[in-house]
Amino acid sequence: MTDFHPNALCFGDEFPAGGVPCLVHVETQGLTIAFAADGNQGQAEAVPFSSVAVSAGGLDHDQLVLSWAGPAGQRTLYLKNSDVIRAFRQAAPDQLTMPLERAVGQVRRVRRRHRMVWGIAGGSLLALTLGLWFGNDVLVELAVDRIPIEWEQKLGESAYRDFLTQHEVAKDGPPVDAVTEMTHRLVSQIPDNPYTFEITVVKSDVVNAFALPGGYIVVFTGLMKEAERLEEVAGVLAHELNHVLQRHGLERIVKQLGFIAVVSIVFGNQQGLGQMMKQLGVELMTLRFGRAQETEADLTGLQLLHRAKIDPSGMITFFERLAEKDEGRVEWLSTHPMSSARAERLKDRLAGMPEQSLEPFTFDWSKVRAALGAPTGPGL
Amino acid sequence: MKSEILYPGAFPMVRIELAEGEHIKAESGAMVACSPTIDIESKMEGGFLGALSRKFLTGEKFFFQTLRASRGHGETLLAPTVPGEIVILDLDGVNEYMVQKDGFLAGADGITVESQMQSMSRGLLSGEGFFILKMSGKGMLVLNSFGAIHKIELKPGQEYIVDNSHLVAWSTTTSYNIEKATSGWVASFTSGEGFVCRFRGPGVVYIQSRNPRGFGSWVRQFIPVSE
Repeated sequence: MTDFHPNALCFGDEFPAGGVPCLVHVETQGLTIAFAADGNQGQAEAVPFSSVAVSAGGLDHDQLVLSWAGPAGQRTLYLKNSDVIRAFRQAAPDQLTMPLERAVGQVRRVRRRHRMVWGIAGGSLLALTLGLWFGNDVLVELAVDRIPIEWEQKLGESAYRDFLTQHEVAKDGPPVDAVTEMTHRLVSQIPDNPYTFEITVVKSDVVNAFALPGGYIVVFTGLMKEAERLEEVAGVLAHELNHVLQRHGLERIVKQLGFIAVVSIVFGNQQGLGQMMKQLGVELMTLRFGRAQETEADLTGLQLLHRAKIDPSGMITFFERLAEKDEGRVEWLSTHPMSSARAERLKDRLAGMPEQSLEPFTFDWSKVRAALGAPTGPGL
Repeated sequence: MKSEILYPGAFPMVRIELAEGEHIKAESGAMVACSPTIDIESKMEGGFLGALSRKFLTGEKFFFQTLRASRGHGETLLAPTVPGEIVILDLDGVNEYMVQKDGFLAGADGITVESQMQSMSRGLLSGEGFFILKMSGKGMLVLNSFGAIHKIELKPGQEYIVDNSHLVAWSTTTSYNIEKATSGWVASFTSGEGFVCRFRGPGVVYIQSRNPRGFGSWVRQFIPVSE
């Protein structure tokens, strides 16, 4: 028994609808088509090129279809084997070249159209994803709104406690009393405040202060030393409090976690997100806010100072003075980049605010500065 | 390798006899019973990526089971999950079939099962999804349907219209277009057909007499809604 390895399917009136497997050979004058008869190689049929019509067919238009009227009726041959198709193209006479090229062109057009449609669909999907990722703050806010305050507090607290264990904390003294009183004054003016703020003064010459999600704020003694007026420290505190109130830290985290996290929160899978957020605890310390978030914290901070009857101009003058200094040395500026436009915007907003009678603090700012080891006296 | 359909009709099984050393692959969970000479192995057909693409792109199982007559001649009985007929096809290395994702039950070792991307219009509207299974190679292929299987034989150029939810398998020599069931959009959906597939021969199209999605909707109305 000879092994029969068919390379094409032949259809005809007397054949089953699924076609009959056959072995096609391309000769110089035409094709020879051999059929298997009961497992043995049976009779071969010769088909001259002159009687063949050519087209493309099949499910993906990727098969070469040859049809002709033979002695046994109409026959159609479906070729998919690339060797046979190549041999046919090489051997085909001139009169078949045109229809053959038309068939090839049709296959290419179909493939190109498929690629184009998939390209457009893939591109649209990518654009949509990128749009959601970079542009759609609404979706991020929607996701952030669904995160309970308790989660945010747990997240911020772990990073906060971890940070404090590595730094020297000022537990009491005039600087701590001053910061506590300023915080009480400001927080008492926040309507429906869901946070329990915890402010810590850390002994360090670094000119910095930062807020963590959940209401944890750290003020460095270096920043207090740099401030000439107590209103300047109050201005920084108002700004940081508003980063917390506006949930800016959480928004940045959600953005960093990406589109998948947003979708998982929107659709209710908060468990997995909790795990991911734990891993982000370390990254919280290096979190940088966006320009829009800084502006929002500035403006809402300014309003808070105004409501708390604290001179809001201290916030602006402190920001401006820090900006004039070496940015590499002032760490607060690396996470809160100051621009003249930002200061101008604050000045404009302040000019539009109604006059407010100011209430003095109970502590003596010169004593606070003395306790910090900062120069005191007139002009400071 | 010999095969025989037992209890043809709604609840059939297929008996496959394997000579020593022969093996077949079957859908995970398809084995009902087998001789003690048959070993059951789990295999990722087409490698990890192939199995992954089959699982996520077509909704088919990640693992196939391999039933191997390791210790002598034996037989195995296979059955699909859903009630419906079984059909056995013989692939000769030239004819190939596209199969809807729940249609594959078992195949000889020489059968290759791969997921293939459809065109955008077919993916969106055929009801089969963007990826379907392509069966090629040489040997026995066992398919199953939901309801009875009906074979439609198409001569070259002959056309036939099939509701897209009733497709089981079709040969790759056929071609089809998706179109509205009626000339108008509203009538197309109010008629309950929506989109249909216009097949063009030559080739064979296997269809199932019941619509799984329609059956699911029908059953759903009897399931009590929890408070």
